[in-house]
Amino acid sequence: MNLRLKNAISNRKKDLIILLVLLLMPVFLNVIHFEYAFTIVSFIFIYIIAVSGLDIVFGYSGQISLGHAAFFAIGAYGSAILHKYTHIPVILTMIIAAFLAAVIGAGLAYPASKLVFHFLSLATIAFGEIVYQLVAQSPYEITGNFTGFFTDSVSIFGYKLNTYSKFYYFGLFSVLVFLLMKNNLIKSKVGRAFIAIRENSHAADGMGINVRNYKILAFAISAFFTAFAGGMYAHCVKFISPDTFMYKQSVMFLTMLLFGGTASRFGPIFGAVSVLILNEALRATEKYQLLIYGVLLLIVIVVLPGGLYGAYQDVAVKFKKKGVNKC
Amino acid sequence: MLKVKNVTLRFGGLVANNDVSMEVRDGKITGLIGPNGAGKTTFFNCISGVYTPNEGKIIFEGKEIQGYRPYQINKAGISRTYQIINLFKKMKVYENVIVGMHSRLNSSVTDSLFKTKKEREEEKKAYEKALGLLDFVGLLELKDEPAGSLSYGKQRLLEICRALASDPKILLLDEPAAGMNATEKNELDLLCKKIVERGVSILIIEHDMKLMMGLADYMYVLNYGKLLAEGAPLEIQNNPAVIEAYLGGE
Amino acid sequence: MIIQILVSGLVLGCVYGLIALGYSLIYKASGMLNFTQGDILTLGAFLGYTFYGVFHIPFILTVIIVFIIMLGFGMVLEKGIISKLVAKGTLPIYTVLATIAVSYIIQNGSMLVWGTQSINFPRIFHVTNIKILGVNIQTEAFVCILVSMICMVSLHIFMKHTRFGTSMRAAAMDPLAARSLGINVSLATGLTWGISAAVAALAGMLIGPLYGVYTTLGATIGRKGFASAVMGGYGNMYGAMLGGAILGLVETFTSAYISSSYKDLVAYILLITFLFIKPTGIFNERAIQD
Repeated sequence: MNLRLKNAISNRKKDLIILLVLLLMPVFLNVIHFEYAFTIVSFIFIYIIAVSGLDIVFGYSGQISLGHAAFFAIGAYGSAILHKYTHIPVILTMIIAAFLAAVIGAGLAYPASKLVFHFLSLATIAFGEIVYQLVAQSPYEITGNFTGFFTDSVSIFGYKLNTYSKFYYFGLFSVLVFLLMKNNLIKSKVGRAFIAIRENSHAADGMGINVRNYKILAFAISAFFTAFAGGMYAHCVKFISPDTFMYKQSVMFLTMLLFGGTASRFGPIFGAVSVLILNEALRATEKYQLLIYGVLLLIVIVVLPGGLYGAYQDVAVKFKKKGVNKC
Repeated sequence: MLKVKNVTLRFGGLVANNDVSMEVRDGKITGLIGPNGAGKTTFFNCISGVYTPNEGKIIFEGKEIQGYRPYQINKAGISRTYQIINLFKKMKVYENVIVGMHSRLNSSVTDSLFKTKKEREEEKKAYEKALGLLDFVGLLELKDEPAGSLSYGKQRLLEICRALASDPKILLLDEPAAGMNATEKNELDLLCKKIVERGVSILIIEHDMKLMMGLADYMYVLNYGKLLAEGAPLEIQNNPAVIEAYLGGE
Repeated sequence: MIIQILVSGLVLGCVYGLIALGYSLIYKASGMLNFTQGDILTLGAFLGYTFYGVFHIPFILTVIIVFIIMLGFGMVLEKGIISKLVAKGTLPIYTVLATIAVSYIIQNGSMLVWGTQSINFPRIFHVTNIKILGVNIQTEAFVCILVSMICMVSLHIFMKHTRFGTSMRAAAMDPLAARSLGINVSLATGLTWGISAAVAALAGMLIGPLYGVYTTLGATIGRKGFASAVMGGYGNMYGAMLGGAILGLVETFTSAYISSSYKDLVAYILLITFLFIKPTGIFNERAIQD
């Protein structure tokens, strides 16, 4: 018990240090005049939330989605369009659009939850394509179609977050809130039900879990996360066009999740950070981007099924064991 | 308490359960035996909602429950173990037990997302209750192990523990002694009696006749999907039709 | 007018059908989805262009060479990656994702070799048009439909009436029993992937002269192929061709009478509708529900 308490305290300490570093990072970046980093960090924040959403559906409840770009799109366009026509503050339209995506996600999952994963993947691809087509060729050009759509930045009490560096704290705050919510969820009755369904859906049913409802719930919550990230994207970049919401984007989310590690607290963070930094590092070789994703995915599937975070944990466990042996 | 009336279940042309009637009495251990392929597990699946019988009624506490889904049966107060172990192998032992409590926990999704006070208190109680149940079946020391790492006999005990977590009124045990050694069987015998003392009635399928004779208050025999005999264990043991069925089967 | 729309719908339908045929074969043989088919079609078209358009090898010979290369490619894919993952006990989801990874690699790889521009596949026949029922039809379109039909019939004969085909079907139905009968299940499974790839490449060479060849040619066709396979009944060979034909016709008629911008939308709506309402497809292929 004492050891546990000690561990808890040292974990707390670690968390505080990380938080402090994150809070002071902008100061540091400004001092060294590395403003471009804010752009990358903003995207990292956005993708962490989007990929965490996918983790709820794929990592924890064991359902595949190859159409999460659609929820990203619903969040982005939903919020941008709503803001344009109603002038409701952006922060609210983002939340409304995310709720809308959750409802649509539930509506998709209701029939889809009956399909085995192979065909669930096809259904989600079809869903993703349908949303993409509607965005790219919308009735009355409400989305701006291929020309794209300009939108406002987030403003908090009248203060506009119109640059990437001003977006930083909002992004950080959102990530913390969403990761906290995800963690709470996983460590609750609902999260246990998700995992139980992934592990053995028949036994889950026998233990009083309404499997279908929970599958639908997983999709809805997941859609909420990813759509909110979409809203962040729209109002951070201030311009959206259909290209961002293609099938490729759905695969990108999956690549990040698998590369980081599924069903873990830090997997989505590892995944978003590593893939986006890699992306930046290889910006000059954009020609090879798909090739690189393909190879990354293959490596993860064949050699590193736990992703980076899984590998990190394995190494950490080995180190600890060595330490104990020495004592 | 639980009354099954003339249940028939067909798979295409095959009749798996044919006009079976039986009763599980309050506070008693009811045994169900029969040669392999007699339709015992299928019958369990009818009661626990995996299959819906084509004909007949299943009445639990005055309510007809045939056609309920398994999760509804669990919620109503009947829980079960499986012949083939069906644990959540990657989850920890105590987590398996808490999953078993699912239908008794009242926190909503928003409670879960925001870890409300209500949710935290409920989780704490659930954890303590899980420890209590693990202690009851003798698995407390293994609470943090992954369920899949337990020995076969211990996994069977964990299944029982998980089933008890939903505070059932009736516990359905499907061959709980399969794969257990003699000591474990003795412990199981004791455990079943302790469970009944807690006010839970038991319906048990078991092949080990010795175990069954000591445990069951009343027994039913299934053969070719039909009820062959019923009565007190001693009567069953001496029933010529039952002996014939078992010998003929082998 | 109508006949021309009909013909171009059938051409498209045949291509979808050929892709879907591969999906069905593979699903029957190994219970997997294969996301590489579309990009293999692209690769086949590029290879065909290279041999025929650049090296001036006669078209028939080109077809045979590409067919054999891609047969090998499909088998290597199955033996080198898929069966290894299956043997490792990887979740089927991951195996399917591995095929997506391979499809990305093929797509990007062919872009690096052949560039991003759409390439004109040189004409195959000197006669540009033939007249059927008083309507001029592009020779290549006619050949595309003809070859697809031949392809399906010969695959049918191969599967039903040859020893190899029988062992492939047996391996698909019950691998354990097949193995005990002395059938080389591993070879049979590999061969289904090989044949599927070869057929997809053939489709690429058929459609190349009509549509031009570019790196993303197959990606969309690959996804539409899934719609065809599901509509016909996933795992059913005739269903695949029928589903393809229906989808091709629906798409071209939508383009002609409503708007070409809605043809993709219609295809995916059909896919999702079938999945939700009639997942067993027109031919009522075995249930694919949980």
